[in-house]
Amino acid sequence: MKVLPIDRFLNKAVNSGLFCKLPNGWKMSFKHIANLYAYRQLIWQLSWSEFKLRYKNSVLGYIWSLLEPLLMLTVLYYVFSHIMKMQIENYQLFLLLGIIIWNFLSRATTIGMNCIVGKPSMIKKIYFPRDIFVISSCITALLMSVFESLVFVLFMIYFKVSLSVYILQAPIILICLFILSLGLSLALAALNVLYRDVQFIWAVLLQAGYFATPILYTLEVFPADLRSLVLLNPFARVIIAARETIIYASPMQTGDLIFMGVASIVSLIIGYAVFNKIEPRFAEEI
Amino acid sequence: MSVIEVDKLEKSFRIPHEKRTTLFETLTGVFKPESYEVFNALKDINFDVKEGEFFGIIGENGSGKSTLLKMIAGILYPSSGEVHIHKKVTPFLELGVGFHPDMTAVENIKTYGTIMGMSKHNIRSRTDDILEFAGLEKFRDAKLKNFSSGMQVRLAFSTAIQTDPEILLMDEVLAVGDMDFQQKCLDVLNNYRKEGVTIVFVSHDLGAVRRFCDRTLLLHKGEQIALGSTAEVIDRYVYGDQDKSISEPVNCVVENDHGVLTEEQPSVTCSRWGDQKIEIINVEFYDKFGNLSNRFNSFDAMTIRIIYHAHEKVFDPVFGIALYSEKGENVYGTNTELKEIVIDSIEGKGHIDLKIESISLLSGRFLLTVAIHSRTHEPYDWHDKLYQFDVIPTSRDAGMFNVPCKWII
Repeated sequence: MKVLPIDRFLNKAVNSGLFCKLPNGWKMSFKHIANLYAYRQLIWQLSWSEFKLRYKNSVLGYIWSLLEPLLMLTVLYYVFSHIMKMQIENYQLFLLLGIIIWNFLSRATTIGMNCIVGKPSMIKKIYFPRDIFVISSCITALLMSVFESLVFVLFMIYFKVSLSVYILQAPIILICLFILSLGLSLALAALNVLYRDVQFIWAVLLQAGYFATPILYTLEVFPADLRSLVLLNPFARVIIAARETIIYASPMQTGDLIFMGVASIVSLIIGYAVFNKIEPRFAEEI
Repeated sequence: MSVIEVDKLEKSFRIPHEKRTTLFETLTGVFKPESYEVFNALKDINFDVKEGEFFGIIGENGSGKSTLLKMIAGILYPSSGEVHIHKKVTPFLELGVGFHPDMTAVENIKTYGTIMGMSKHNIRSRTDDILEFAGLEKFRDAKLKNFSSGMQVRLAFSTAIQTDPEILLMDEVLAVGDMDFQQKCLDVLNNYRKEGVTIVFVSHDLGAVRRFCDRTLLLHKGEQIALGSTAEVIDRYVYGDQDKSISEPVNCVVENDHGVLTEEQPSVTCSRWGDQKIEIINVEFYDKFGNLSNRFNSFDAMTIRIIYHAHEKVFDPVFGIALYSEKGENVYGTNTELKEIVIDSIEGKGHIDLKIESISLLSGRFLLTVAIHSRTHEPYDWHDKLYQFDVIPTSRDAGMFNVPCKWII
């Protein structure tokens, strides 16, 4: 039996009335997913070539990209464990994981935000679903983070951290992280087309968020009444949950999981709502 | 079967007087109403394109051709009305979209090919062909930034033509290359046409439109003026433009009786002289439909009307014309004396027509001298190269004028 490609299958499913009881928005979403799947090759090509360009196609470029988080780690480690006397088990790994996750958010949103305004010729001269630009920007950021994680893996081996079954929960956390960042990037990319100062505002917010999120320190550093406020930030929960499952061999908390899941869906819906609202004006405003 | 349906399509752009591009400006400007002008780029456009059809869109600059094409491509959204597309559209609005200077030729082929909708497998198997066609086999791993602009265009073009489009949108930007390149483009178009690809073609090259397009749409200032068979629509375009077609004399040095220069344009050396016993009031060009025009298809009929006013009774006047190329070479000249037409006498206002059955000129702008003089060659009124008209090519022959001929083998 011949297996249908997924995109045609989805399209068929939509057209066959299988989902006819579903509201229109759902049908559109399924259609769009089928459409995106048909463009998977383009998404990958755009992400991959952007990734290669980031490292200038050179071996030194790749090494440099590993050196950057390492140097960052060295500085932060020295400051926080020797000057601030932070007492945390496996502080190097704790720090590095936080940095990698935050770097991903920061890169995904920054590359994503500029992917529409940075490619006027693509926007004005050719058509494919515009969210492909944002999706592939986020994939580029993901590729960069995966590459950086090599350092983390080496550290894990060096410090002989034992893994537990709970590491199987890590992919769920990463998916939430990706969707959260994608939703944000979609909204930012669209807003940046209309308001060019969004990128500066976002840079400041990222900087503030870096310190308002338990990256360099644990949640306990914050005063007790502030903690629930910090936990409203889904990225704080992502980082905490990732540390628990990957470094500390313990399960993540159900509350965190539900919060992250809901937050990522909300982020994606709001992101697409903003993006779709502004998208028709892209070619005219750039 | 229609593959493109355009229904009551309108597009207007808001052009703000003061553009707000930042959140800050928008917030501070909340209480000031934003002032803008509305520009109607397209008004009430209705047409459909059948499968396999070669559809042309013509019109002056700013008539909305490219806007229309972009809306068919899905790049711009209509303000009202609808565009329905029933097949995959491949726009050739610009070559080399997504080319990156820091990537190698092969990487750029990969990216560009993917953007143009080629499959991975096709790209891989055709990369060598693409490089060979572009003549860049030696440079496959060289970075694009080290390529000359000609090499970049060749690479983009060779990649683009490897796509298998269902509906192809082709903008005039492709006509920027040299003769050889243009010919290649047209050959590719012809191949696509033979394969049954639906093509929408925007061009200023009326010759190419005439040769390829089954049907053509004429736009003028965003309005749909004509839609139908290419020959009729091109006629409409060339001849139909009433407001532009009155043949004004070229403004240049006009010396009146008192020897005072009324207007100066030193770059053009043309002038008017004579004792004005008979005055040339105007010269008008009429097309094959009897309408005023100053653009003519090559090989079409044309009438030159000289409107005169004889202030007194003049015996035996001679009317003459001389035709010059834009460079000033005399192409042709004749007068009533040479044609052995005797005009006994004229008085008052009147006109005389010179009927040309078929314009043998191929293409370009031509200047016309019109003169009335006596048999003894004393000029009454001499308008030297004061009038001009354009000839639009209809054949592919080269040169200035047609020589009736045929090849025999």
